[in-house]
Amino acid sequence: MRVGIPHMGNVYVAIKAMSNRFGGELIVPPVNNQRALSLGVRYSPEGLCIPFKLTLGNLIEAAEMGADVLLTIGGFGICRLGYYTKIQEQILHDLGYNVRMIQLNVSEKKLPGFLQVFKQLSNGASWPTIISAFRFGLTKLNAMDRIERVVQKVRAVEQIKGTANGLFARAIKAIDNADDYDSLKKIQIDYIEQLTQVPKDNQAQPLLVGITGEFYVVLEPFSNLDVESELGKLGVEVRRRTFISEWTKFSLFLNPLGIDETARIHKAAFPYLKRDVGGDGWESVGEKVLHAKEYDGLIHLAPFTCMPEIVAQNIMPSTKESIPVLTILCDEQLAKPGMLTRLEAFVDLLERKRRASNNKR
Amino acid sequence: METYLGIDVGSVTTKLAVLDGNDELVTYIYLPTQGKPIEMVQQCLKQIKPQLPEDVNIRGVATTGSARYLAGVIVGADLVKNEITSHAVATLQYVPQVQTIIEIGGQDSKIIIVRDGVVTDFGMNTVCAAGTGSFLDHQALRLNMSIEEFARRALDSNTPVRIAGRCTVFAESDMVHKQQMGHRIEDIIYGLCQALVRNYLNNVGLGKEIKPPIVFQGGVAFNQGIVKALQEELGTEVIVLPHHEVMGAIGAALLVHEGMAGSNNGSQFKGFGVSEVKYHTSSFECKACPNHCEIAQLSVGGQALARWGGRCDLWEGSPTS
Repeated sequence: MRVGIPHMGNVYVAIKAMSNRFGGELIVPPVNNQRALSLGVRYSPEGLCIPFKLTLGNLIEAAEMGADVLLTIGGFGICRLGYYTKIQEQILHDLGYNVRMIQLNVSEKKLPGFLQVFKQLSNGASWPTIISAFRFGLTKLNAMDRIERVVQKVRAVEQIKGTANGLFARAIKAIDNADDYDSLKKIQIDYIEQLTQVPKDNQAQPLLVGITGEFYVVLEPFSNLDVESELGKLGVEVRRRTFISEWTKFSLFLNPLGIDETARIHKAAFPYLKRDVGGDGWESVGEKVLHAKEYDGLIHLAPFTCMPEIVAQNIMPSTKESIPVLTILCDEQLAKPGMLTRLEAFVDLLERKRRASNNKR
Repeated sequence: METYLGIDVGSVTTKLAVLDGNDELVTYIYLPTQGKPIEMVQQCLKQIKPQLPEDVNIRGVATTGSARYLAGVIVGADLVKNEITSHAVATLQYVPQVQTIIEIGGQDSKIIIVRDGVVTDFGMNTVCAAGTGSFLDHQALRLNMSIEEFARRALDSNTPVRIAGRCTVFAESDMVHKQQMGHRIEDIIYGLCQALVRNYLNNVGLGKEIKPPIVFQGGVAFNQGIVKALQEELGTEVIVLPHHEVMGAIGAALLVHEGMAGSNNGSQFKGFGVSEVKYHTSSFECKACPNHCEIAQLSVGGQALARWGGRCDLWEGSPTS
């Protein structure tokens, strides 16, 4: 059984670590690139969202590389995600790939279900092996996300733009190659230290911009044209709630214990939106309300044609907690010059707003 | 004479504006870009030079518009600014109490919301360019009339017909259909104006609080039909300033004046002589990763000046080779 996976940010590093530990045969397609996008766009129904198209492109590339089982994400929420595994399977079969789909159900949010899926993907590994492999994968996720949080801060103030990104890329590689907990820990400490040492502009008072929106486009830089790095170049510090390690921590471990981080966000959104609208729409509205005082501005990333985020986009302007919001619709038509124009104007707006309110004081 | 030069290179037109030390407009120029941004910047510089006094001293240059980076390299800009900020700054200079700025250009349309002299929100057409200047140009051409006549005839409409304005392709089919049904051309043109205004307000203006005073600018503000349709739809007066088509360039000049005031450095302006330089543009496919980005290169005499177009930073900045 050769297992192919789609991409989302650096998740492949964690899945690879797990697979190596439980002795599975994993096929990682090339990270998101123009070819994967073109393949995905070519074979997808036009109105579907960019997460569908890009992951389809990855799955096709994995199948080309000989994968016979494909791991996908599914659920039974309100958005179309629930159909995606089935549709992608149909498209792949029509293209002549004899592949079987195995779905990780993210709506269920249950650890045993996740482990069961990985058990299926292993070549009959024992439960203790599966559990230990899963734990190792999560540790890699945690390490990557901890480093990324520091990167988000350094990008805004580094003297030579791109330094933090370069270190981050090397950190990911090192984490990918790490084989045990000790070296993982060392890598994490080492890179965070290196990032702290990066020469910075100490006079800078970076603006703080939050990133919210749909999970996939927030986490996959290829789909949002690397919006966080672009903001970093403009001297803006970025903060976001969405990290895979956060999601796994809450969904798989803390939610079953009754601890729900989204309860706070939903409560904030409640005066304007009283229910789940699928995907991350409810959370997008809630995050705007919750962070209106803390952030200078908010970037709202939404896949084009994404119903939940369209609902959120239309509610956001009417909240009384006011903070400038820039919605960026991500799809295969999104082009860098257009996005940069909007980002630059948005940052100018925030800068001038801050200056005006400082003058008033 | 101390002056500041703003250059706005848009998709359809290229604009230059020169301001004096008191931010008064000295002169300006407005020419079609014709898809040749470099040549047009050179052409504009050549044409504006004789309109300036002998003792002109360019203290700062700023570029804006979609070709702002390219134009910035060519003229040696002190500041490269996006067109949204430039437009807002210029409008605030002339109408300080403005609350809403509507700008419709050749291929983009924006709305800028201003409160207490500070931009608080803006919107720009995202996935669709329906209803911008290029489409109006195209329709005028199809009806075999100049864009000026097209605008004038709209005002002679008595009973405008309803045109589907969401998508320009369907708008055109709808116009053809209405023509074939025998409607008057004036009514069709004004119907189109109304449709474009509706489309603008429902897309770019969606969720924005449009409060007066409203200033309308950009090339499309020349079109009396659109101005009338806007006023009708909004139910309030819409201000069109005398130099509305060069507001981006004026804003850029204002911004560079502000920026240079705080620094002791002289301008990096390469002088009016750049209109004689032969620039060469080329492109190549980067093979460093599977993305195969198309990199555009600007060079003079075999020497690369700047490169653009990658997804990553590999070719950004000044070339080393």
